[in-house]
Amino acid sequence: MQYDVAMSIHQFPPKTPQDEFAAVLETLSQIFSKGSKGIGASIVAVLFLLYAATTSFYTIDVSEEGVVVRFGKYIQTTPPGLHFKLPFGIDQVNKVASKRRLQQEFGFRSSGVSGGRTTYTDKGHAMESLMLTGDLNVADVSWILQYEIRDPWKYLFHARDVERNIRDVSLSIMRRVVGDRLVGDILTVGRVEIADEAKRLTQEVIDRYDMGIKIVTINLQDVNPPEAVKPAFNDVNAAKQQQEEAINVAEREYNRFVPEARGRADQRNSEAEAYSINAINRAKGDASRFRSITDEYQKAPEITRSRLYIETMEELVTKTKKLTIVDDELKGVLPIFGGLKGEK
Amino acid sequence: MKVVSIILFVLLGLGAINGTFVVRESEQALITQFGKILGEPVSKAGLYVKIPFIQDVRYFDKRILSWDGDPNQIPTKDKKYIIVDTTARWRISDSVKFAQTVQDESGAAARLDGILDGVTRDIISRHNLVEAVRNTNTILDRVQAKLNKPKSEELPSDVTKLIEIEEEISGEIEAIQVGRERLSDAILERTRPELISLGIELIDVQLRRIAYEASVETKVFSRMISERQRIAEKIRSLGKAEEARIKGKMNLDLQEIESTAYRKSEEVRGKADAEAISIYAQSLGREPEFYNFLRTLEAYRKSLPEKAELILSTNSEFLKQLKQKK
Repeated sequence: MQYDVAMSIHQFPPKTPQDEFAAVLETLSQIFSKGSKGIGASIVAVLFLLYAATTSFYTIDVSEEGVVVRFGKYIQTTPPGLHFKLPFGIDQVNKVASKRRLQQEFGFRSSGVSGGRTTYTDKGHAMESLMLTGDLNVADVSWILQYEIRDPWKYLFHARDVERNIRDVSLSIMRRVVGDRLVGDILTVGRVEIADEAKRLTQEVIDRYDMGIKIVTINLQDVNPPEAVKPAFNDVNAAKQQQEEAINVAEREYNRFVPEARGRADQRNSEAEAYSINAINRAKGDASRFRSITDEYQKAPEITRSRLYIETMEELVTKTKKLTIVDDELKGVLPIFGGLKGEK
Repeated sequence: MKVVSIILFVLLGLGAINGTFVVRESEQALITQFGKILGEPVSKAGLYVKIPFIQDVRYFDKRILSWDGDPNQIPTKDKKYIIVDTTARWRISDSVKFAQTVQDESGAAARLDGILDGVTRDIISRHNLVEAVRNTNTILDRVQAKLNKPKSEELPSDVTKLIEIEEEISGEIEAIQVGRERLSDAILERTRPELISLGIELIDVQLRRIAYEASVETKVFSRMISERQRIAEKIRSLGKAEEARIKGKMNLDLQEIESTAYRKSEEVRGKADAEAISIYAQSLGREPEFYNFLRTLEAYRKSLPEKAELILSTNSEFLKQLKQKK
């Protein structure tokens, strides 16, 4: 990797870029005014000046910082805005997107924006996303990692390929975290916990490299069983639904019949109570009536009996449709029996 | 004269260019003279001078570099074929040794390939698969915690809990002795001394990816499928069991409710009847004969229909007077 050394025509190190630039201009004007070699020299001088001017300024975007090196040596870090530097590649600027939140994707790639919506592909990234779980099953985990460049100098000069290091570490750490868990936990409840632990451990390892990187967040995207196993996992979910349904149906039936039966039982009890009250009251009433009657009866038993008997008979006989009186001395009064059958 | 001065000027210019060199922040440089290394390496960034045309400069990166190994198929101690993909981070710690032994980065990469692949293979194959997958034994605590989770009394949630446990403890769980992190540390420790002699400082080794070899993967997948099927069946049958339980309970409850109601109502009725009888007996006992007479008359009145045909003998108490008159 050779450094293309720009041609240098003056001493170094200069005090400030501005002074230096003024000095250059003066030297040049002296050279060309003395010689006055004609139009050719003037054209060369103008071109030279233009080149100097275009390589003397640089702008840093709002999301960036500029790391300035002079003859390869670090000078300063400049904030966003228009800046001056030494021309001809003496000063070189490395722009670092330190204010931006950068993102790495694992197990999928956002493949572009279509219809205002980001589309994703996860085809062909199974190598990244398939991992072994603690119970030696396989889970398909995809995630994103967001990071910021906290120190542009370290970012540039402490490691050659920072992004690749971040990727390698994140791939390794995610497997370590997933490797300590059961497949059931990973697919269901453990997502946040996994992301947090992965973030913590990834930062720990990244810090060892001292690359000026701060991990902002790790987010699990899709956590799935491997494609081949998916139907079986879905079947488990279906079974859960079926189980719930079966239980619900049974409970519905229970709820349909049992409360009604309770109601009927209560009804039956109430009816029994009613019967009870009825029977007892009647008995008491009858008893009380009989007591009253007997009180009076005892005063004149014979006459009362006769009276009651005669009254009753009288009542009965008056109500009858037909009364047949049979003298007990008469024999064979058969004809009536035919009549008896028909009318009652 | 003019030509000579131009040549001289050009030579001077070339000399000025060739006599200076720049070392960047990310680099270190070695000055060589006819291939021989001179003095200490330059590791501070800046502009330097050397003897033009006679001395040469070789640059080496000073930063952390990464090494990416080819995925290797390695059998573990428990005879499981897995693919292990390792990466490592390293730096050129001694540029003189580095230049002498491996020349440049591609030379270093070749040596790293040989050394790291060999040691990785050796260490992975000496351990069971779980050692490379898991880092700690916390998974055992998790399993234990799940098993110990107190079961609630309620029927439906009890059932769901049962299923959870069944579902989560599938596959093989055995305690580990070493763990993933210590395996990669072991690889690091084993390779480090050898690499130091090449002027290379190995910073870390990461087991980036561990995957089942394709044929093993198929077997694992089919095991996972059969496990899920087993679980699904269990869930279904637990559902049916619960359904049957609820239905059975319904029958039981219905019978109990109905028969209890019957018993209670009959008890109440019986008691009432008994009380009524006792009330009657008490009051009627004073004049049983009169009660008979009275009740009989009442029965006549009630039981004989209206407009009935009545045949009476003159012998009867009611009509005996008719006879006497005759």
